[in-house]
Amino acid sequence: MSFRRFLIKRTAIAAILTLVAVSVIFATLRMLPSDPFSGLVASGALTPSQVEELRALYGLDEPIWVQYLKYIQNLFTFQFGLSLTQQRPVSEIIGPALLNTMVLLLPALITTAIVSSLAGMYAGWNRGSWFEQFSIITTTFFRATPIFVTGIFLLIIFSYGLGWFPAFGMRSPMANPEGLAATYFSLDFLKHYILPFTATVLFYSGDFLMLARNSVVERKGSEFLKLHRAKGLSEMEQLGRAGRNSMLPLVTYFALRTGMLFQGVITLEVVFAWPGIGRALVQAILNQDYPTVQAAVFIMALAVIVMNLTADIAYARLDPTVEAGDV
Amino acid sequence: MSGYALDAETAKDRLQSELSRARYTLGKVLEDNAAKIGFGIILAFVFMGLFGPYLAPHHPIEHTMRADGSMMRLESPSAAAPMGTTSFGKDVLSQFLAGARPTLIVGVFGGIGTGVLGFLVGLTSGYFGGRVDEALMRLTDLTFALPFLPMALLILSFVTPNIWLITGVLVIFLWKMPARVIRSEVMTVKERTFVKSARARGAGHLRTMFLHVAPNVLGIGFLYTAYAFGWSIVAGASLAFLGFGDPTMTSWGRMLQQVYRSGAMRVAWWWVFPPAVGIAAVTTAVFLVGRAFEELVNPDLQSEQE
Amino acid sequence: MSLLEVNDLKIKYRTAEEDVHAVNDVSFSIGEQDNYGLVGESGCGKSTIAKTILGMLDDNGEIAAGSVQFKDRELADLSENEWQDIRWEEISYIPQSAMDSLDPVMTVGAQIRQAIHKHRDATKAEADERVAEVFEIVGLDPARTSDYPHEFSGGMRQRVTIAMALVLDPDLIIADEPTTGLDVIVQDKIIDKLLEIQDEVDSSMLLITHDVGVVAETCDNVSVLYGGKVMEQGATYDVFMHPTNPYTMGLQNAFPVVDEFDEQAISIPGSLPELTEEPTGCVFRNRCPFATEECEDGHPPLTASGSQLSACYYTDRADEMREAAAEPETWGIEAEDDRETSHETGDVILETDGLEKWFKQTQSFLDDMRGTEPDYVKAVNGVDLTVRQGEILGVAGESGCGKSTLGEVIAALQPRTGGDIYVDGTSVDDLLAESTKKFRSQVQFIFQDPFDSLNPRQRVKAAVAEPLKIQGYDQETIDRRVRETVSDVGLNPPEKYLDQLPAQLSGGERQRVAIAQALVLQPKLLICDEPASMLDVSLKANILNILREMADKRDIGIIYISHDLASLTQIANRLAVMYLGRVIEIGETREVVQNPRHPYAASLLAASPQTDPSVNRQRVLLPGEPPNPVNLPGGCNFAPRCPKASEECRKDEPKRSSFKDGGHEAACYFPVEDVESELLAQYARNRGETAVQPVDEGSIEESVEGE
Repeated sequence: MSFRRFLIKRTAIAAILTLVAVSVIFATLRMLPSDPFSGLVASGALTPSQVEELRALYGLDEPIWVQYLKYIQNLFTFQFGLSLTQQRPVSEIIGPALLNTMVLLLPALITTAIVSSLAGMYAGWNRGSWFEQFSIITTTFFRATPIFVTGIFLLIIFSYGLGWFPAFGMRSPMANPEGLAATYFSLDFLKHYILPFTATVLFYSGDFLMLARNSVVERKGSEFLKLHRAKGLSEMEQLGRAGRNSMLPLVTYFALRTGMLFQGVITLEVVFAWPGIGRALVQAILNQDYPTVQAAVFIMALAVIVMNLTADIAYARLDPTVEAGDV
Repeated sequence: MSGYALDAETAKDRLQSELSRARYTLGKVLEDNAAKIGFGIILAFVFMGLFGPYLAPHHPIEHTMRADGSMMRLESPSAAAPMGTTSFGKDVLSQFLAGARPTLIVGVFGGIGTGVLGFLVGLTSGYFGGRVDEALMRLTDLTFALPFLPMALLILSFVTPNIWLITGVLVIFLWKMPARVIRSEVMTVKERTFVKSARARGAGHLRTMFLHVAPNVLGIGFLYTAYAFGWSIVAGASLAFLGFGDPTMTSWGRMLQQVYRSGAMRVAWWWVFPPAVGIAAVTTAVFLVGRAFEELVNPDLQSEQE
Repeated sequence: MSLLEVNDLKIKYRTAEEDVHAVNDVSFSIGEQDNYGLVGESGCGKSTIAKTILGMLDDNGEIAAGSVQFKDRELADLSENEWQDIRWEEISYIPQSAMDSLDPVMTVGAQIRQAIHKHRDATKAEADERVAEVFEIVGLDPARTSDYPHEFSGGMRQRVTIAMALVLDPDLIIADEPTTGLDVIVQDKIIDKLLEIQDEVDSSMLLITHDVGVVAETCDNVSVLYGGKVMEQGATYDVFMHPTNPYTMGLQNAFPVVDEFDEQAISIPGSLPELTEEPTGCVFRNRCPFATEECEDGHPPLTASGSQLSACYYTDRADEMREAAAEPETWGIEAEDDRETSHETGDVILETDGLEKWFKQTQSFLDDMRGTEPDYVKAVNGVDLTVRQGEILGVAGESGCGKSTLGEVIAALQPRTGGDIYVDGTSVDDLLAESTKKFRSQVQFIFQDPFDSLNPRQRVKAAVAEPLKIQGYDQETIDRRVRETVSDVGLNPPEKYLDQLPAQLSGGERQRVAIAQALVLQPKLLICDEPASMLDVSLKANILNILREMADKRDIGIIYISHDLASLTQIANRLAVMYLGRVIEIGETREVVQNPRHPYAASLLAASPQTDPSVNRQRVLLPGEPPNPVNLPGGCNFAPRCPKASEECRKDEPKRSSFKDGGHEAACYFPVEDVESELLAQYARNRGETAVQPVDEGSIEESVEGE
């Protein structure tokens, strides 16, 4: 199969998948027993006639298939409408939240991907060593433990106990920075950043470490490494070749993980009160703010599908022995 | 297609050899020190899950009273309450002991459900290939794309969560993991000569699939059931922490939610640590045993000297 | 002065249960520009010795005693750093499996350059120049240095590793089974290349192989190893002309030779010794037909016998033993009458008529839309065959010629795309429509890989009973038939084997169980796809003898598919040779072997190595490799490589009956009369003219076998 054909096929699948995912989201939201406004009526916040107006405003009085088509059209043009509870466009709510999540997770993911992969390769090369045992047990602990529990441990030790770092949010209540630079490049931000960043790095480290370690173990007995050794390459040079040959699963996994980035680590954001997308989504669900929920879930799904596609393509491109059609 | 008939004798023989294999494998796994400790923790946890509520000095939602009749609120550990009390005046030790059971239920049934469903899907997908495979794999892609926690929260926000429902939701989102791994493993086994040979001897698809392919990927299936046990506990605890646990049961996740909500985390370490350490210990234990088991069943890790 | 001197070397492997004494008191020495051979079957310790000389013994192995001196330097004491300087600079290595030995994500040029940069201060340009030089030496196109390993075929990759071994002009090159797994014609070209290099380069070579033929043709001196001991040592000519050790005799006699077709195959009974203790008696005594009580008293020392050394207490009876060793009875094999005279084949049991199996190539999306006819790989392309009761039809050919596909299509393990198959006069479609079960009870299949052909979780009893259970026999019949069949394939007494798992059996025993599985249904037709190719030579013959017996006694028709012509000539009544999906020659085995008419069949037959060192065989330097099966040229498929091809050959494809002499047919307009002058001499001449291979080198194995 030619690379182009492969690309076309994969993209088509991704597009269909997005459509199906979006439909599932739509169906899930419509399955709700009552529409989001009845709660507001019951609590006395709105009169029934106001509700009718609102329903018309949100198009909820139209037949279901019209709603569906409009919904699809809006999502694919990135028009997410108005938040039900905050009276402002949904994009204004989730835009900054997404950015905050990215700022937290992307550097953490990149850090752990590099550090843990290198450590994993070293561990795999020295199979049975003290370093291998130690690194596996530690990272297994952080990988297995729910991230909010790790977060709570960090909070209790470094924030409440030692008092080194603030416990909540992204900046001190007093600070009111203007502009990106002031928001993300201040000492105050850094202090708030360190604990959730550490928790994320530790949480992701396990998968990269084991993946790298297993790939190197797999290759360690291989014939081509024997030949490299016979050529007189030093231990480190041999490890380098084993590592290069282990890159593929790591890069693929990194791409997949990046796709999951928008889904965030919801519980971690809640524990540290980090104003990211996960926390915004939980609040939206609790407040029954469905336009926001729709938009956030859509963006999360889209990111995964797009990065899956990227991973497939990276796989086909990176490995000289893999023909595009084999993937 | 020939039927999948198994006579009692073959079945018994089969079962016996599988059992002795399992015993042997467990012995091998326990040669690993980390796995040994993990296994001990799991045993203790299962014991607590089964008998914890009967050992607890108080009912988990009963108020702990002083001798003079006043309620003990948010007190540090003392003789009356060895692990202190919550800000609602409940005994932490009793809650901790009782909280093991829901955690165990979610873990065991979530794990088995995920393992079995994933195994069957992976087996079917990998064995038949072609259209069946394509359809099932796109389905896993879909469950990967839909974000697990938000979707679970949505579903649980319009029905009252109960523990079985939560377990069910977990299985719906977790089966994809074992399914993918089993599938790729089956695709390797399927190409092995003895599978082709079974077909040449006249075995039908069902017989080939369950008698020749399945036993050779069973190890990986167990491994992922064990991992799913861990994942289910993590996911169940996360849901409970976000306030979507079974409101009728005290689980460790719910304890953490209560301590977080009450704002007592800053002071009441005795309230935080038991459930937090409990969850961390159990999930870590499961993964440590899993890792040791993986070294045995993952054919790629059986390097050089045989 | 000798270059490498190995003295009383002992190597132990520590395992969880007990130590394995892999090498015991082995001594030999290699001189300057010497070609030395270590020959023996798997487990004899030859690879362990090679690893030791490279300082690459596995982590659990250790040198327990003895010394390895290289240029008067003790290698056993070197540190890893000192080793790194010696490796490749002074001792280089040609690995066994070129398929896996090259780094898949590095261009071949870069891999060779890496060796240069590691040991020499060279600029990239200088290194490139040297790489191009060695590429020329091994007959590769220097323009391909920036290709990745997977873009080369198996034979080409082996050339790359040879080029790599030569790049630093080392003093010693260790070649570990350099031709194993290659097709016979490719093997012949590689051997020719090695011999040529030996002439041109000053390096010594240590060749490690199980193949007596390869050693006999390439080495000056040889050590025959068994169970970690040297059994016989000396000049290759002496050792294989006048072996004085029973093991050497057995090994040489077991090694089938193409033109010895009316001889009973010889195999050495028994199995390899356990090496968990240092040997207390002669390591070969349990399998040796000449062993006496004296042989229990320690392993015999190497003593001079004739012009070589031999470890046997009875070297003085060597001539007598040699004579006896040529008789199958000596090795416990019942004599059979010459099959060709005594055995009449019966009615036709299988007939194929224009059988075709084409694999569709995926094509571009646009072509799909336009409805363009896709390309096909014609794996089986119009094959007509008949097999009679009690007859063994051999199917020979190189990998990728479609012979395995042919077998699987006949057994209905793959659907065919054209033509007809009749079993016992009934069309296969009708049989299958009636009942798959019934078809399976008539046609059975034996696969190549004995180590993988049994379900690791199924005991022997269950494995052999399964086909009967599927057919719905009652328990009593099943028990009886299983017992009988297991005994019939030589697993005696059956009780010993019935409850064992495949992991407890040796390769030869496993393959017998697989045969029992096929025979238990008493099929009319049995298709065997390379059933013996992965077994040690001393066990191979067992399998051949069982199959021959089944054909003779039970009147089963057998199709025996193999790339190993020597085995085929021993077992087959008739022989068919395939090339690119077609049968290009077919006839009585003796006819085809002695008077091959098709140039390809003749080349194939001439390429088999000889175990007799006195024969000076001319090499088959057939240019190129089989062309890409997708875009076959018009006319005869073999024409682009054929020295006799004319315009006619390139235009019209010859029918199989173009040459016909009784049952002997060949698809050639110009049948060969004299192989030497018409083909071999011609190939040798052509090679001088074209340094670079003229034919498309597309690796056919991948495109056909890998579907």
